[in-house]
Amino acid sequence: MPASKKVLNLAISIGEVMLQSGGEIYRVQETVSRVLESYGIQDYHVFVITNGIFATVHEEREDAGSMVRYVPIGDVDLQKVAAINQLSREISAGECSIEQAYERLSQCRQAPGASKWALILSCGIGSAGFGYLMGARLYDSLFSFLLGMLLEVFLLTAAHYHASKFIMNILGSALVTAGSLILYVAGIGIRFDQVIIGGIVPLLPGVSLTTAIRDLFGGDYLSGSIRLIDALLAGMCIAIGVGAAIKAFQMLGGGALPL
Amino acid sequence: MITQVIMCMLATAAFAILFHVPRTEYLCCALNGAVGWITYLAWTAHGAGPTSASIWASLALTLVARILSSIRKMPSTVFLITGIFSLVPGSGLYYTSYYLIMGDLARFMGKGTETLKIAGGIVLGMIFGLVFPQSWFNRLGKAAGRIRKRGGGGR
Repeated sequence: MPASKKVLNLAISIGEVMLQSGGEIYRVQETVSRVLESYGIQDYHVFVITNGIFATVHEEREDAGSMVRYVPIGDVDLQKVAAINQLSREISAGECSIEQAYERLSQCRQAPGASKWALILSCGIGSAGFGYLMGARLYDSLFSFLLGMLLEVFLLTAAHYHASKFIMNILGSALVTAGSLILYVAGIGIRFDQVIIGGIVPLLPGVSLTTAIRDLFGGDYLSGSIRLIDALLAGMCIAIGVGAAIKAFQMLGGGALPL
Repeated sequence: MITQVIMCMLATAAFAILFHVPRTEYLCCALNGAVGWITYLAWTAHGAGPTSASIWASLALTLVARILSSIRKMPSTVFLITGIFSLVPGSGLYYTSYYLIMGDLARFMGKGTETLKIAGGIVLGMIFGLVFPQSWFNRLGKAAGRIRKRGGGGR
């Protein structure tokens, strides 16, 4: 493999991890360019969109190389974005050889995240806290906490079976709604709407919205629109899930439930 | 008010765990979430509607995220993504869906428009926050680095 190809492969792999973990387009583009330049490649072109990276180097020379990577939208993993950012800084400071960089990259790929229990617990705390901010009482937040944990268990299981994002959003919000309505019907004196609002917070497309704005602002209109559509669809899916669950309860109760 | 801010910090830190933020940055993420929510509360307390309060809150949040990012040498996304969740209109989304199912079309339209307006407000505020040139923030980061060196400790 010619040297230029090796550098290109490294640069694109670094960009891939960053893009998949939730880095913005301009940041990925900058990182890939910086890595290529640090290893002595001046003649290159990099094009990044939300789910792909295209790059060519040395187009007019003997050792010309080009690569395309398909990068599906993955789970947000900001630890990886930060680690890659640090790695690219060290590479451009000349503190890292190509072999070391490959080594660091594979370490970074396998870096363990928080444990499942920590994720489940923090999902519950997040649901309860944000639910409280949106006007729930502490008593309601307690149940948002439980439903938030249940939701994360569901999401982790669904991710294990590679369920699509639509299904996860629809079923997830339906699960929270159904859970809250069951508790309400059981007569423990909760305000079911507040409990639901807290419970669906982890599903809200805050990440897509933020990334969409940053991409649009960076002039990457195509990627920004992809993210924006992603955010809108996620919002609609949540609305569908909530609505379907409420409707089902209404029909089951035959109008007797004071929803 | 104080309970609200504490709850906001707790919830934001919890979401920081959910998005795998590096351990050292949990506190800064929580701080940024609190900045957003305090701004939101301050504006609504002075009679502003949820949309304009969201604009100012997301502006404050974006600026603080950028300041933190240059001081802590972290990508600003880390603070921005976790901080924004207190503003995302989850309750609006719920009520929109609820009124649609209940067949209350007038309220459905009202809530739906309000939800979209709040989302637009967040976008607008964030864009205002991104307009300021990066060089200003870099200077701040350098100053922080100098202070850290003089202290002899730091990273």
